[in-house]
Amino acid sequence: MDTGGTRARGAVLAIASAVALVALILGLAACGDDTVGGGSSEKVTTAKGGPVSGELTISNWPGYIDPGPKGTVAEFEGKTGVSVDYIEDINSNDGFFGKLQPQLEQGESGGRSIFVVADYMAKQMYDLGYLQEIDHADLPTVFKTLAPSLESPGFDPERKFSVPWQGGMTGIWVDTSKAPEIRSVNDLFDPKYRGKVTMLEELRETPALVMLAEGVDPATASDEEWLKAIDRIKAAAESGQIRDFTGNEYTEDLTAGNIVAAIGWSGDASLIENKNAEWRMPTEGCTQWSENMVIPVGAPNTPAALAWMDFVYRPEVAVDITEYVEYISPVQGVKELLEKRGSPLAESEIVFPTEEFTSKCTGQNTPPDLERVNEAWQDVLTG
Amino acid sequence: MSLKQRLVPYWLLGPGLLWLVVFFIVPMYFMGELALRSGSLTSGGFVFSWEWANFPDSLSGHGDQILRSFFYAGTATVLALLIAYPLAYAIAFRAGRFKLLLLFAVIAPFFTTYLVRTIAWKTILSDDSPIVSVLQTLTLVPQDGRVLATSGAVIAGLTYNFLPFMILPLYANLERLDLSLVEAAKDLYSSSRQAFLKVTLPLTMPGIVAGVLLTFIPAFGDYINAQLLGGTQQAMIGNVIQSLYLNQRDYPEAAALSFLMMALILAVVVLYIRFAGTGAFMGDEDEETAR
Amino acid sequence: MSAATRAWSWLRRNALPIYAALAVAYMLIPIVVIAVFSFGEAPKDKLTFGLDEGFTLEYWRTIFSLPQLNDALMTSLRLAAFSTLISTAIGTLMAIALVRHRFLGRRAANLLIVIPMATPEVVIGASLLSMFIYYSFALGFTTLLLAHVMFSISFVVVVVRSRLIGFDRNLEEAAADLGATPFATFRTVTLPLLAPGIIAAALLAFALSIDDFVISNFNSGTTVTFPLYVYGVSLRGIPVQVNALATLLFVVTALGVALVLWQQRRAERMAAVRPEPVTAPGATATT
Repeated sequence: MDTGGTRARGAVLAIASAVALVALILGLAACGDDTVGGGSSEKVTTAKGGPVSGELTISNWPGYIDPGPKGTVAEFEGKTGVSVDYIEDINSNDGFFGKLQPQLEQGESGGRSIFVVADYMAKQMYDLGYLQEIDHADLPTVFKTLAPSLESPGFDPERKFSVPWQGGMTGIWVDTSKAPEIRSVNDLFDPKYRGKVTMLEELRETPALVMLAEGVDPATASDEEWLKAIDRIKAAAESGQIRDFTGNEYTEDLTAGNIVAAIGWSGDASLIENKNAEWRMPTEGCTQWSENMVIPVGAPNTPAALAWMDFVYRPEVAVDITEYVEYISPVQGVKELLEKRGSPLAESEIVFPTEEFTSKCTGQNTPPDLERVNEAWQDVLTG
Repeated sequence: MSLKQRLVPYWLLGPGLLWLVVFFIVPMYFMGELALRSGSLTSGGFVFSWEWANFPDSLSGHGDQILRSFFYAGTATVLALLIAYPLAYAIAFRAGRFKLLLLFAVIAPFFTTYLVRTIAWKTILSDDSPIVSVLQTLTLVPQDGRVLATSGAVIAGLTYNFLPFMILPLYANLERLDLSLVEAAKDLYSSSRQAFLKVTLPLTMPGIVAGVLLTFIPAFGDYINAQLLGGTQQAMIGNVIQSLYLNQRDYPEAAALSFLMMALILAVVVLYIRFAGTGAFMGDEDEETAR
Repeated sequence: MSAATRAWSWLRRNALPIYAALAVAYMLIPIVVIAVFSFGEAPKDKLTFGLDEGFTLEYWRTIFSLPQLNDALMTSLRLAAFSTLISTAIGTLMAIALVRHRFLGRRAANLLIVIPMATPEVVIGASLLSMFIYYSFALGFTTLLLAHVMFSISFVVVVVRSRLIGFDRNLEEAAADLGATPFATFRTVTLPLLAPGIIAAALLAFALSIDDFVISNFNSGTTVTFPLYVYGVSLRGIPVQVNALATLLFVVTALGVALVLWQQRRAERMAAVRPEPVTAPGATATT
C-alpha cells in the first residue's frame, strides 16, 4: 500500500472532519437562544373557565390524598366525568422546579394542569412568568370556605395565582420506644443519639428550626445568624451526629428503625409504619408552611383544573381529605364535620392547632442574601 | 476497488457516527459553552460571558468529594478485580457444562433495575437486619455501629453494581488464553505460581486494563450508591453535579465541573488507547483481527 | 494418605470452583432478597424489613393494580423497544464496517465508539441536558429516546463485532463458490450465523435502556420511566408490587437469555465457530 498517499489522505480526512464538525457546531449554535433561563417574557394569562370534561393531570406530593377507589379523586371523577391522572411526583420543591424549568420556560407544563408547591416556590414561579392567574369568579366555593387567616398571605396578597391545598408544621418525629426524652431540636445534637438522627434538606426548615432552638427569630435573622446555624449543623454532620439529610425518606428510616428521631412533617403518619413514632412540637416552636395549588402556563383543560380546586373546598370533601392525610385543612367547617363523625382527629392538635399551640412557630422565611446562604447550605448537604 | 465499493464502510458507519456526534460530541460543546455563562436562572437568566472563572470555581470547595470519588471508585475497582479475576478464570477453564449458566448468573443482576438492587442492599444492610447482626458478632462492624450511611456501604454498593463490567472483559480475554503456553511454562520447570505470574497474567493484562477502565470510570461518576447507601459525609462528585444541576440550578458551575471531569477521563482513555490500541477495550489484543 | 490430607488436597483442587460458586451466590443475593420480599405481608402495602408479618400472594395478584407503576413500566418498555430497534440496527451496520472493511478513519471511528462506554453517566446526562436546555427543547420521551439510543450503540457494536471476528468466512466463500450472489450469501449464510450476536446485542441494549436511571433522570422532564418511578417511591415507601415486578422482569429476561444462549450453542455447533486463541506477542495469528 502506498503509505505516503494513505498518510496524506488520512490528514485530509482528519482536517475535513474537523472542519465539518466546527461548521456543524457553529450552525447549531446559531439557532439557539442568547439567554438560558431568566423567565418567560410572555404576558401573564388568566386560566380560562368553561364546561368541565376530558382529562386532568395533577402533580402533588405523596401522602396528600386518598388515591383509592373510595377516595377524593374517584369521587371527583364520578361527579364530573373527568378522568384524573393524579401523579405523586413531587418530593422537593427545588427538585420538582429543576425538572420542569426548561419546559415552563417554553410555556409548556409537561401535561400537568395543577402543581402543588410551597409558598415561596409558587411566588418564584409566578415571578418567572410560569403560572397563570386565577379568576375568583371561577372558584365560588373556594372563596366562600377559605379560612380567613389564609385569605391574604404575604407572597400572594390577592390570591391571584395560588389556592391553598393543605398546611402543616415541621417539628420532630420521635420513636418513643427508643428516645422518649427528645423534645427540642437541641436534643437532636445530643451525642447519645449519634448517627441516629436525620434532618430535612430544606433551607427554610432545618436551619430555621436550629435558629429557633438558639433563641433567634428566623423572620428577622441576619445572614450571619443563618450561617451560624448552618455551621452548627455542618459540624454535627461532619462528626457523624446527623445520619443523613432527607426529603421524604426519613419516614423509611423511622419505619426501618435506622433512626430514633427526625425533623419531619406533622402529617406524615400515613407514611410511617412504626407504632411508636410520634410527632412532637419542639419546645422552642416549629415552622409552619402551606402548600398551594397553582395552574402553570400551557396547562391543558383549565376548566377541569378550576373545577377540581373548587371541588376540594367543599367541606364534605375537605373533611375526607383531612381524615386521610392528617394535615391542616384550609377549609372552614372541617372540624365541626369531624366532631359530628366522632373522629378523634377533631381533637388533634396537629390537625387543628390552636393559636396557643403554634404561638412560638414561625413561617417559611428567606434569608436576606438567599444565594450566599443557600450556597453554604448546599455545601453542607453535599458533604 | 471501485469508488462505490470504497464508500461502503462509510455508508455503514454513517448513521451511527452521526448519531454519536450529534448526541455525544456536540452536547460536550454545549456543556462547555454553558460553563462559560454567568448569571442566575431566576433573575435574568444565564448569559454568555466568557466566564472562565467558572472552571476553577467549580473545583474549589469540592476537593473533598473529588478525592472521595477517587478513593471509593478506586477501592471498588480493586475489590472488583480481586473478586472477578478468579471467577472469570473459573468460568473460562473450570466450568465445563456450566459455563453458560455461570455467565448468565454473572449478568443476571443487570436484569433487575439498578435502583431496585441498590435499594435491596439498603434493606439488607439496614441497622436491624440479621446480616448486620452477624457482621457485628464477627466484629467486622462495631457493636454500636452500623453499615448503612458509611463509606463501607457505598464502596460495597459500587463494587457490587460494577462487578459485571469487570467480569465480562476479563472473561472475554481469558477465554482466548492458549493454555498450552501455560503448559509449556510448566514443562520448563516453573511452578504454578510462576507460570501464572509470568505467562497468564501478562497475557491477560489487556483484559484486566479494559475491566479496570470500564469499572473505575463509571464508578467515579456514580451518585446513586452514595445517595442511597451513604450518609452526610459520603457524597461523591456525581452527587455534587446532580445537586448543582437539578437542585440548585447553577447550570454554569455544574457544566464546568462535568466538563472538567470529562476532560480528565478523556485524557486517561486517550493515553491508554495510544498505548494499547482500541481493541484492548474490547478484550482482544489486536484490533486488526478481522479476516 | 490420611483423611485430613485427602480432604485438604480435595479442597485445594476444587478451591476455584468453590470460590466461583460463592462469588456467584454473592451476586445473586439481592435478587433473592427482592424475590423473597415480594411474598411478604406488608401492613401499609409498602416494603418493610422482615417477613414476620406473614406470607402472601396478594402483591402478585395485584401486580398491575397501581396505575402509576403500570404507566412507568409501559413507558420504559416502549422506550426500550424503540431504543433497541434503532441502536441494534445502527450498531450492527457499524460493526460490519469496522470488522470487514479497511478504510481511512477506522481508528478514529473506533475511538468515537469506545469513549461513550467509559464516560460516567452523569457526564453524558448532564451534557445532553445542557444541549436541550440551550435549544429550549422540551424534555420527554423523545429526548429520552435520543439519549438511550446514543449510549446503546457502543455496546451493540462491541457485541456484534466480537461475534463477527470469530466468524468462519469459509462458509461464505463456499456459498459463493456454489454460485450464490453476495446478497443471497448474506441472507442465507451470514445473517443466520450472525443472528445470535445480534440478538445478544439487542438484549444488552434492551437491558441498558430499561435499567437506565442517571441519564434518564437528567433528561426526562416529567416523563416517568420505571427506574424513575422506583426512585420516587423509594423515598417514601416502595409498594411491594415493585418487588414483584422486578422479580417478574428478571424471570422473563432470564428465560429470554437462556433461550438465546441455547440457540447460540446450537448455531455454534453447526457452524463450528470458535473464538480465536490469544497468541504470544510477536507470533502471527493463524486462522
